[in-house]
Amino acid sequence: MDPSRPHPLSGKLVVELAGLAPGPFCGMLLADYGASVLRIDGPRSPKGDVLARNKSSICIDLKHPPSRKVLLSILSRADVLIDPFRPGVLERLGLSPTEVLLKANARLVVARLTGFRRDGKYQDMAGHDINYLAVSGVLAMLGRAGENPFPPANILGDFAGGGAMCVVGILLALVSRDATGLGQVVEANMVDGSAYLATMPRLATKTPFWGSPRGENVLDGGCPWYATYRTKDPGGKYMAVGALEPHFYEVLVRGLGLDKTDLPPREDRANWPRLRALFEAKFAERTRSEWAEVFDGTDACVTPVLEQGELEKAGFEQRLPVNLGATPGKPILPGQGDWTGGTLAKGHGGEEILRRWIGWERGVDYHVEENSGILVACSREKL
Amino acid sequence: MTGAPPLAGIKVLEFAGLAPGPFAGMLLADAGASILRVDRAIDGQTHTPGQTPPATEDMLTRHKSSVAVNLKEPAGVALVKRLAARADVIIDPFRPGVLEKLGLGPDELLRLNPRLVYGRMTGFRRDGKYKAMAGHDINYLAVSGALSLLGRDGEKPHPPWNILADFAGGGAVLFQGVLLALMARHTTGRGQVVEANMVDGASYLSTFPRMALKTPLGDRGRGRNMLDGGCPWYDTYETKDGGYMSVGALEPQFFKLLIQGLGLGGQGWEENRFDEARWPELKALFEATFKSRTRAEWEAVFDGTDACCTPVLGYPELETEEGREGDMRPSVTLRETPCLGVKKGSAAADAATVGQGAGVEGEGYKGFTLGAGEGGEERLREWAGWTLGRDYEVNKGGLVLKEKSRL
Repeated sequence: MDPSRPHPLSGKLVVELAGLAPGPFCGMLLADYGASVLRIDGPRSPKGDVLARNKSSICIDLKHPPSRKVLLSILSRADVLIDPFRPGVLERLGLSPTEVLLKANARLVVARLTGFRRDGKYQDMAGHDINYLAVSGVLAMLGRAGENPFPPANILGDFAGGGAMCVVGILLALVSRDATGLGQVVEANMVDGSAYLATMPRLATKTPFWGSPRGENVLDGGCPWYATYRTKDPGGKYMAVGALEPHFYEVLVRGLGLDKTDLPPREDRANWPRLRALFEAKFAERTRSEWAEVFDGTDACVTPVLEQGELEKAGFEQRLPVNLGATPGKPILPGQGDWTGGTLAKGHGGEEILRRWIGWERGVDYHVEENSGILVACSREKL
Repeated sequence: MTGAPPLAGIKVLEFAGLAPGPFAGMLLADAGASILRVDRAIDGQTHTPGQTPPATEDMLTRHKSSVAVNLKEPAGVALVKRLAARADVIIDPFRPGVLEKLGLGPDELLRLNPRLVYGRMTGFRRDGKYKAMAGHDINYLAVSGALSLLGRDGEKPHPPWNILADFAGGGAVLFQGVLLALMARHTTGRGQVVEANMVDGASYLSTFPRMALKTPLGDRGRGRNMLDGGCPWYDTYETKDGGYMSVGALEPQFFKLLIQGLGLGGQGWEENRFDEARWPELKALFEATFKSRTRAEWEAVFDGTDACCTPVLGYPELETEEGREGDMRPSVTLRETPCLGVKKGSAAADAATVGQGAGVEGEGYKGFTLGAGEGGEERLREWAGWTLGRDYEVNKGGLVLKEKSRL
């Protein structure tokens, strides 16, 4: 790290209770921007998490008070705790944010991430991305006309509306803390997180032009100039068309080798099937690279749909989502969750965090159980 | 007692645009910042007594005010510079080079105001082959590789409206960068340039499915995997009355509850579900079973269970039906310093959960446009104590500094 360009979250300690997907994504985003992130693994914590770069780990048995004591000690110094469990779990483990954790460390930000609302009818139920999107209202808007609702993998609930929104809450709480000196409890849930992200489509459906059923609107596959088209290549390659504005649409039409005067007016929805058929036929006439050559550098809003494998082969660099000029995040190193890697072995590197942040030493303040790797506080407390 | 929202006192100059820029502005506004949108002046329409400020298409306008400025006139640029000297955050939604050409680029404005966080939003990468091209959400997703992951088996790639690039990977990412820069500023005392683009935003959000491509979890091709429509127990199913239920029963104990709830126990599915040769059969069985009852009947079966089976609710019913929990809330809850609430009147009950303040018109279901120049005079008074006639005046519909003003 260049001392003249520290990371934005340098000097912040984040404790992440191990989970899968949303919690680790939240921790990863904070780690990428310079926070020290300590993942708390245990006898039952998940394996194979690939969102673990820039993190360290220790193993704690949350149900065993002398082991929990190690966690409580690091939390007395930490800035952030990420809790990915269902409501009530932390409380039942003697780790109540308001009654225990914030009383021991008033500056702590306890970030609690759930799928459903904590105060809603589904609060105690198990669920996954698709279920949260379903009750949020977002899923009903997604998918093609005439087909079942269909989510975009697990990106929207787990990550965009989950882990990333939890990061938003944490950052806002840290900003508040700069003013008040105090931490607080942050609660993120994927129902409200994804609903917020869908604000514009939701508002749009109440306007006359955008209020058609799923898959029949301009931006959700209904219209011919905002869609993907298959090219001549065998096995399925595609071009993406997003020519919303009239002047961009004209460039699209020209690029396709069509004459605008031959086309039915696009303003009339009744013409959309015919336009779509024309565009389908045209795109099928040439390969994707031929079309890319036609449209690259133009304002037709036409770009190839690139596959992950070809991006990797072309040396496409995976980058952090936002660049800060003076205080950058940590670049994503090859094999660290760009195309592969990004895992973290349980117990790896975490003891260094204990030493650096609270001066705890193995053998003095805690010992490590041989078979399980679980850390247990020594009965003699370090004052 | 509720504390002030996190960004109270932060001043944001949002150059008017559509979708990602205004969304970043809305996130800032909801967190308590004061937003002044800079719109294009229209002679005879903007800042013209007797004329309604002309609306733009932008509907992400809550809590914002607008001034109309002629950015092609030096006097208009001078006024914006004076505002930038007082602002904390700029939102630049334009293609690379646009604001520089107007004399409002980051070098210039950071020189005037070293504490400024200069936020820049583009679709494509600023340094990439597409940097000068027009594009939209679907195009950015396309070149990022994310779009190739989305869509059903046997169909063309299909994006989820414009949520993933414009908002999740665009405006929200710029907002995160601005927050990080405000935090850095607390330590360093200085602002900086923050650059977000939707290619990297969308790609970062897609890390998990991208990584899964090389593992059994995701190596079968688009739409054929466990989490992207390929498997019967992670999908949606139509009910007798044309509604849908969502099924996400990944874990064995949850799958068992699903099978039981569907009345399909004792057929060996719990043991045999990973026999992929039988997936078409299992899918057909689920389809037929779900179609045998209404959505309400299925809700009564699965509500309160761990079967990971929930109804696919639509916004019309969420908005109007009792007990449907369709009130719009802040993006995230802060229990001590909550963001601004959306649903009117709900803060009286529980500001920490639903947000503070009076709520907003439309309550997050109906949007309202903001006219160019609407509310700007009041905001200029709040920001700088300026009044029309003394500190600035109107020229051809746009605001300009008064010559005598030496603020």
